[in-house]
Amino acid sequence: MTEYITDSTEKETKQYIVVQIGSEKYGIDIGYIDTIVRMSKITRVPKAQVYFPGIINLRGEVVPVMSIRTKMGLESDVYTNATRIIILKIEDRGMLGVIVDAVCEVVTLATDEVEPNNVHSNHTKDNFINGIGKNGDQLISLLEINAIIEEKDNA
Amino acid sequence: MDVSQYLEIFIDESAEHIQTLSDCIMTLESEPDNKDTINEVFRAAHSLKGMAGTMGFKRMQHLTHDMENVFQEVRSDKIAVDSEMIDLLFKCLDAIDAYLSNIKATSDEGTEDNELIIKALNDFIAKANGEQPAESAPVAEASAETAEAEASENGDNRKYLQIEMNDHERKTVLAARESGQHIYGMTILIQKECLLKAARAFLVFRAVEEFGQILVYRPSSQDIEDEKFELDFSFYIASSEALDKIQTAAKNVSEIEDVLGEELTDFGASTEAEEEPVKEETKPVVADVKPEAAPKTAEQKAQAPVKKAAGKPATNRTVRVDIEKLDELMNQVSELIIAKNSLTSISATDGGSFNSQTFHEQIEYLERITTNLHESVMKTRMVPIESVVNKFPRMIRDLSRTLNKKMELVMTGEDTELDRTVVDQIGDPLQHLLRNSADHGLEDTALRAERGKSETGHIFLNAYQEGNNVIIQVGDDGNGIDTDAVKQKAIERGIITAEQAEGMTQKEIVNLLFLPSFSMAKKITDISGRGVGLDVVKSGIEQLGGDVEVRTKLGEGTTFTVRLPLTLAIIQALMVEVRDEKYAISLSSISNIESIPVTDIKYVQAKEVIHLRGSVIPLVRLDQVLDMEPMEKDPENLTVVIVKRGDSQIGLVVDNLIGQQEIVIKSLGKYINGNKLISGATILGDGEVALILDTNTLM
Repeated sequence: MTEYITDSTEKETKQYIVVQIGSEKYGIDIGYIDTIVRMSKITRVPKAQVYFPGIINLRGEVVPVMSIRTKMGLESDVYTNATRIIILKIEDRGMLGVIVDAVCEVVTLATDEVEPNNVHSNHTKDNFINGIGKNGDQLISLLEINAIIEEKDNA
Repeated sequence: MDVSQYLEIFIDESAEHIQTLSDCIMTLESEPDNKDTINEVFRAAHSLKGMAGTMGFKRMQHLTHDMENVFQEVRSDKIAVDSEMIDLLFKCLDAIDAYLSNIKATSDEGTEDNELIIKALNDFIAKANGEQPAESAPVAEASAETAEAEASENGDNRKYLQIEMNDHERKTVLAARESGQHIYGMTILIQKECLLKAARAFLVFRAVEEFGQILVYRPSSQDIEDEKFELDFSFYIASSEALDKIQTAAKNVSEIEDVLGEELTDFGASTEAEEEPVKEETKPVVADVKPEAAPKTAEQKAQAPVKKAAGKPATNRTVRVDIEKLDELMNQVSELIIAKNSLTSISATDGGSFNSQTFHEQIEYLERITTNLHESVMKTRMVPIESVVNKFPRMIRDLSRTLNKKMELVMTGEDTELDRTVVDQIGDPLQHLLRNSADHGLEDTALRAERGKSETGHIFLNAYQEGNNVIIQVGDDGNGIDTDAVKQKAIERGIITAEQAEGMTQKEIVNLLFLPSFSMAKKITDISGRGVGLDVVKSGIEQLGGDVEVRTKLGEGTTFTVRLPLTLAIIQALMVEVRDEKYAISLSSISNIESIPVTDIKYVQAKEVIHLRGSVIPLVRLDQVLDMEPMEKDPENLTVVIVKRGDSQIGLVVDNLIGQQEIVIKSLGKYINGNKLISGATILGDGEVALILDTNTLM
């Protein structure tokens, strides 16, 4: 902890939770995350957007759950023992669950360890990334939360 | 003083006082002589003024102060209530209301001075002062009369003319006069921007006392010292010097707007006996114009008990509770119900495994408690619709003026209670319906006469409870809806084709009115007809989980029936199963449940219907609607839940019935959309989530 404080006086840092989606690792700003839960029974909601498999009961609250794989245009989820639902809490819009294949670790990245995303391609999933973080020799794509919650008609 | 912590109370109470004023003024219009009402009005205006003053809202205080003066005059029979005055008073109320909304939004009253209204109010008082003595005191001395007349011409600024003296003061004045001194009455007007009024007053006194002795102060010298006065004060001074000297001296004090004064002669010992009592009689009110001390307070105190005896019973004892706290309480009760449901489901499944007899009893006991608790909490959230509907008589009155039609609003069931959230939002739709009735519904007075109807159009608003719903009917005895005209318009606008129009029932045509941007107004008016109309009403009501229906007969009138759920948070529902998914259907929308042999299904226009006890009911296969794989083969008997909405019915085909249950409605959140069919979700006893079907969307 002391180390972290001395660190932060020198340069700004942010913590990210690193998750596995498909074959890639993504970082989610820890500030948005309310909690992480194991996979639980998802109740299907008819006529909802395709990337919403349904809703779950999170300790007495109803929380919609999104399949980020579907939204990114990847093949659909395979639920395993490692599958987790990241519960994001976004002001004004309430809670939202995002299904990820696994949760790996928490990393602390300084601002100068993050590079803006310059790789432009036609892949839908690149629109969800707002930067690349360098953690040692590992590269982590940082997810843009707003892009995740934005409506996308063609998703 | 930091008063911000009282702001909320101030806003609430002011709103109440404004409502009281509005109600009372309405009453006054019909019974101008009702003393009780006048007293009540006066009291409300007075409290309002006091509160505004305490909170430092000077403009609002000023306006209410002048309004109070008018009521004061009315109370002492100096002015009769007439419609001109009522109009003015309503204008006042609107202005005060505007202050209040400003305060609500910004904690500041804004900068509108409403001088026009204040001037008009003062004109009223001035008129009363000018005319009254001539009428009721013809014996009064001529000079007094002239003085009065001048006073009224001068817009009531010569307040020294209105000083009412007590015995002691009169004696000193007369003694001074007898000793050969002149008695001058003076009123000092201080500039509005003046910050230290008391200090200025002190300087004025010091200046004038070089010439003589001040005998009578209004307000009292103590009050002036404490700055308990508005922008002027008056006094009598006894002096042997000329008046203009004194006036100049007073004017030399800075920040003094004007000094008014003249020599008073009507204290002559010979006329005193006659004149003084008259003054007493006609003046007490005017003396009160100043926030002056003892006599008024005493007067009011004396009046208060009288009113209580005569007026309505004292209001219910209430505690204001923040709605958030209630929401929280409600949430906790919801949790409790969920927990209870899960116990119930355990007891149902594990029935044999442990001693079930006592267990069941305890569960039933718990169930009773939670149901009662739920009801009580729900009741705390219930408020009478009164708070919303009691502004309508005023509105109809105004409309009657603007539209130049005679109309009357009759309301019943104002005490019907609804959930606070519903009440807060039902105002606009109801207002819209009433305006609609006033504008489009009622015919012109001439046309009414021609049709042999009473000249005054009748608009009614009836509210009552029916089961788990509250019904509010809004209607009129006017023209009714001309369905042919509606049809024509709809075809013109391309909403329907001529062929479609042919096959439509009356009801379907009337329902066209609820389509967005379908306005029947032939000309655009202030009141309605801007193209936003009934569709807004409808969506507003549907948002509250209610619905609206129209009944109309050409030439006889139209009635809109608004049906609202009593509460939004917890409902009784029937749980059904479709394949392996569970859905809840609100019990209040279900009329009955039938088991129908597949062979009984008939087809009308290629749609499945059943014929049940004389009525033809369309069938809806829930599995299809909910995007499920159809079953390979129908079972022999279908379970059909028949739901109703108003007069229409449909049958929902489900796979299985689970049973009746109290469910807590949870929102699906803002992420999942495009889904009108599902109105929410609920958590079942076993922790599973079930969706709530909004059957209205299937109709």
